[in-house]
Parts: sequence; structure tokens; C-alpha cells
Amino acid sequence: MADQPIWVSFIVAFIVLNVLLISMAYMTWFERKVLAAMQDRLGPTRSGPHGLFQPLADAVKLLGKEDLIPAAADKWVFLFAPVAVFVAALTAASVIPFGGTIDFWGHPVNLFAADLNVGALFVLAVGSAGVYGIILGAWASANRFALLGGLRSAAQVISYELILGFSLVGIFILSGTLSLRGIMVEQSRSIEIGPLHISNWFILSQPLAFVLFLIAAVAETNRAPFDLPEAETELVAGFHTEYSGFRFSLYFLGEYINMIVVSLFASTLFLGGTDGPGSDSYWALGLLWLFLKTIAFLFFYVWLRGTLPRFRFDQLMGLAWKVLLPLALFNIFITALLRIIANGQLF
Amino acid sequence: MPWELIFFYVIGAASVLCALGMVLAKNPVHSGIFLVLTFLNVAGIFVMLGAEFLAVIQIIVYTGAILILMLFVLMLVDPEDLPSFSSAAPLQRNLSVLLGIVLVLELAAAIITRTSLGAVGPDTPAAIASVGGNTQAIGLRIYSKYLLAFEITSLVLTVGVIGAVVLALPERLGEKVQRRRDTISLAHARGSDGLLPEGPKGETPITVDPQREAALQSAGRTLIMTKDPDAYTRVGVRQGRPDETND
Amino acid sequence: MGELSTNHFLFLSAALFVIGMMGLLTRRNMLIIFMCVELMVTAVNITLVAFANETQTLNGQVFVLFVLAVAAAEAAVGLAIIVALSRRGKTVDVDDIHELRD
Repeated sequence: MADQPIWVSFIVAFIVLNVLLISMAYMTWFERKVLAAMQDRLGPTRSGPHGLFQPLADAVKLLGKEDLIPAAADKWVFLFAPVAVFVAALTAASVIPFGGTIDFWGHPVNLFAADLNVGALFVLAVGSAGVYGIILGAWASANRFALLGGLRSAAQVISYELILGFSLVGIFILSGTLSLRGIMVEQSRSIEIGPLHISNWFILSQPLAFVLFLIAAVAETNRAPFDLPEAETELVAGFHTEYSGFRFSLYFLGEYINMIVVSLFASTLFLGGTDGPGSDSYWALGLLWLFLKTIAFLFFYVWLRGTLPRFRFDQLMGLAWKVLLPLALFNIFITALLRIIANGQLF
Repeated sequence: MPWELIFFYVIGAASVLCALGMVLAKNPVHSGIFLVLTFLNVAGIFVMLGAEFLAVIQIIVYTGAILILMLFVLMLVDPEDLPSFSSAAPLQRNLSVLLGIVLVLELAAAIITRTSLGAVGPDTPAAIASVGGNTQAIGLRIYSKYLLAFEITSLVLTVGVIGAVVLALPERLGEKVQRRRDTISLAHARGSDGLLPEGPKGETPITVDPQREAALQSAGRTLIMTKDPDAYTRVGVRQGRPDETND
Repeated sequence: MGELSTNHFLFLSAALFVIGMMGLLTRRNMLIIFMCVELMVTAVNITLVAFANETQTLNGQVFVLFVLAVAAAEAAVGLAIIVALSRRGKTVDVDDIHELRD
């Protein structure tokens, strides 16, 4: 990683931020179109060709709505809570590696905003800081149902965050580093099995961890089938009951950014990130591979939403603590054992 | 431009202000929020001191789990039970301020007059980088030299979990339920015909008002407890019909 | 001003500790007292890490890790006690909890 002047880092971070915001807006369009296709209807078609201006139309509508704050609400916390969710989701994207160091007309430029050597834990930490947006928003609404919905949401998120963390420990054992860039570089090595050269993607060496990560990621972002606290068929909308207009859109879009960042994270950790044929020569091809992998995960999210019924809350928590956590511990145990045996240090 | 110094002053001032906010806020949930902000700033301080693993662990464990637990308890406390801010005796308050000032002066004196500690230890930045970083170095240290402490800490955490669960359980009464209740009656407290679970000394979880009970009985309302929803599809049940239960 | 040295961090830690201590002695709400205790523990953590940085040994950081784990267990048990107390007496005021004394 080359040392670059700080203004270059700012420019890269700015570009990453804007790309994320645009993809978040079009993620809403993507979801509506894909859900429509699964439900045998058309989805947005009227605003622009194929409904491509629908996100803009939604934004204009939400900005034009009346800004309601309940009279008994705690004003400052009410205003601050959705911002916490939004900011936390975006901050987690600052450590995702979009490539290596490229040479931009003589200047070395890093294709990532930051490379922390505790990068993977940083994403988990920022995710756990984002839970506060849910809790504080629920409490500040001065609404008993919103509070209970928010606390349930928060309990769900912290339980599944644990599973998320544990499922990654196997990867840390295999790659020896917590830095996301290091994990990505580790996956671009090839394993030779006979005549085949397969990239060392961690989905091949950690399949159980991959499945656990996917389930935990869906629960972490409060998406279907784990979205009981904010489901459309519930009487109240959970922690964002009292939020309307632009503030609600901050929560809503924060959830989408969370989805995108988690998909990027999963692509980096399990599918090699920018690794793919031709990516070591052309960095643009690497970006294309990362984009395709992320789209695959986002499609998987929408697919789950269109297909599965919702979990009841106690089933959800029971699943986390009684099934997924022992499986995650088992995965760590097996990975560590195999690593020790492979190193010849067992006996 | 000494950037490090500037960052230290900004983060340090922010953490002290948030700590003051926590101590002085009237609403306990505001105190909780200020404590969260303080801990985020302290994580920044840890990064400045070269302990980045500790910084993220502080956020994940302390801010992301313990403080959420505290906020849960804070939010579920009824605000009418909150005591007034000032302590019962102004004497106690003034004495504590005096003690605080004295302690701060003592600590400042101790810090200013301290002599630097002895030889520089073995974990120079070069040595840490050669192992792979702060996390790897801490890992090597914990699992070799401090292994016993690590195991004992896991025992402490297990005991803590068991203790918390046992202390927070609702009071368990004896489970002498006479029959299964398959429908819940809105007219009667437990949907039963008077049979309540009893504790070891015969206590019950709810007080049953005998006058209301008698009034209900005399009104001729019948409680139908059945597993089969189609068992009672006849229209116009006569008054005074005794209970018919299908168990 | 001058160079950033360990003494700066020690002053910060002392300030946080004293703020926590004054809050502990002044407030009456059990939960706020608990939070002040956590603040004092964090101040001590900063001191440990500052000294670990100065002497370039890792023992300070390892110690902080154990302190974090034990503080987590203590928080869980302490909050369970507070929940049990408030469930019985419906108050979180420390001045009202004196049954063992009387």
C-alpha cells in the first residue's frame, strides 16, 4: 500500500460515498423490479424508461411530506437517531477494498478509502454502533409500541451480530490477518488440484461459515424473513412508526445501504472481492467482478424477501442462540483443528 | 502542524464534555447516550495510543453490548420513579465536589512529579510489526503467557451469565395447574374456573376478588373450555347451563 | 503544549476518573451510579494503555482486555440486581434501599 497524500484519500472516499449513494437509490428500483418479476407483475414502469426515474420520484415525494414530530417526543434524540443509522452504514464502507494500488498518470492511488489492520472488526464495530439509531429512535418516539418494536429489533440485531462475528473467525484463522485487503489478497492465491487452478476463495474452504454469514447478514439488516419488528402486516411499524417523510427515508435508505455494504463485505470475505479472470492485469475488470458478486448477493436478498414467510420473533431468537451459535463454534473448532493438523503441530 | 496534538485535544475535550454531560443530565437516557459518545471517543484515544485491537473491541463489547443492555434497562424504567437530581443532603453534594477537587489536584501533582519508568520493554513497534500487527502480538501474548488468566476469565463470564439469568427470573410459583387451559376467557383473570397455580405456602400470583367472582357466577355466564372449536356451534345457549368441558 | 506525551493521556484519564467519582457520590439513580462506575473503569483502562505505550510492553493492553471481560460480567450481574430490586420495590433510588441496614 503506497503512501498517498491525504487529499487523494479524500477524493477516493468521496467517490466511494457517491457511488454508494447512487447504488442505494437504484437498489430500491432493483428490488421493486425483481420482486415484481417474481410476483408476475411489472413494477415501476411509468417514471422514465423502465421506471428508472422512480427513485427520483420517490425522493421528491418523501422530501415534500410534512415533517411531523410527536409532541411528547424528545426532539434532539428524535432528530439524531436516523442519522446514526445512516452514518454507521456508510462508515462501514470505508474499509472495503475496491482493488489494489493503481498508477494514475504517475500518482499511486489506492482503490480503497482506508486499510485498517483490524478492518473486519471495524465493520462489526460500526455495525454495532448503528444499533443505537434503532433503540434511540424507538425511545424518542414516546410511543410504547415503537419502543417495544425497537427493543425487539435491537435484540435481534445484537444476537445476529454475534453469529456474524463468529462465522468470520474461521476466515481469520485461515488468512492470519484481520485486514480486509489482506483477506482479499489471500484469496487471489491459487490452489492447484491436478490440472485445475482454483482461486483460494473462502467459500470453498469455509462453506458452513458462508451459510451462517448469509443468514446472520439477512437478520442483521432487518430484512425478510427476519423483519417481524417492522413488517408491513404488523399493526405498527416497529421503531419507525412515528417517523414520516424525510426522516423515515433516512431509516429506509440506511437499511438499503446496510444491505449493500454487507453484500460488498460478503463478496470480499468469501468470494474473493475483485478476484476473477483478468483482474490482475486490468483493475477495471476487478471492479466489474466485485460489482457482479455484489449484485448476486443483493438478488439473493430480494429473492428471500419474495419467497419466504416471516419468522416469529421467538423462533428467530431461538434459531440464533440454539442453532446458529453452536454451529459457528463448531466451525471454528474444525477450522482450527484442520489448520493445526496441516501445519503438522498436532502431535 | 502537530496533528497528533490537535487530534488529542479534540478527542480529549469531546470525551470530557460527554462525561460531564453524562453526570449532569437530568434524563437517564440522555446520560446513557452521553456515555456511549464518551466511549466512542475513548476508542479514538486507544487508537492514538497504538492499541487498535482494543479500540474495536471496546466498541464491539462495551458500546455495542454492555451499554445496549444498560439502555434497555434504562428505557424500561418508568420515568415517574426517577428521583430528583440533587442528592438528599446538600452537605453530601458539596462534600463530593470538594473531594473531587482535592483528588484532581493530587492526581495532577502525582502526574507532574513522576519520574519516567525504567527500561523500554520488548514490544517495540518494530517487534510488533514483525509478528504481523497489534492483534497478532496480543494474541501471542494471551495464549502463551496469560493463558491461565484467559481461562479464568471465561469462568468469570460463565458465572456472570448464570448469575444474571437467575437474578432476573420472575418469581417462580409452584406449578400446580389443575387442568390445561385452551381458551382464554376475558371475564376471568386466568381464564380458569377458580383454579390458580399456588406457591409453596399457598400464595397465588393474583388476588381473586370473591365478590366479583360471585357476581359473575350468578350472572349465569358459562365458561366454555374446549379444544375443538366446532364443539359448540349451536346457537342460543340457555342461561344457567353448567360448564361443559372437553379435555 | 509541545509534544504529545504520556502525561497528556494521564491527565485525561484523571479527569474522567474524577468526573465519574463525583457523579457516583452525587447522583441517586442506581443506573446512573452504575454508569459512573463504568466511566471510572474506562479511565483506568486509558491509564493502563498509556503506560503500555510508554514502556512499550503489551502487558497493559492484555490487562485491559481482561478488565473489559470482567466489566461485562459485572455489568450483567449488576443490571440483573437492579432489575430485581426495581421489580420488588418499584424504585431505583438508592436512598430507598436500606432493608439490610434497618
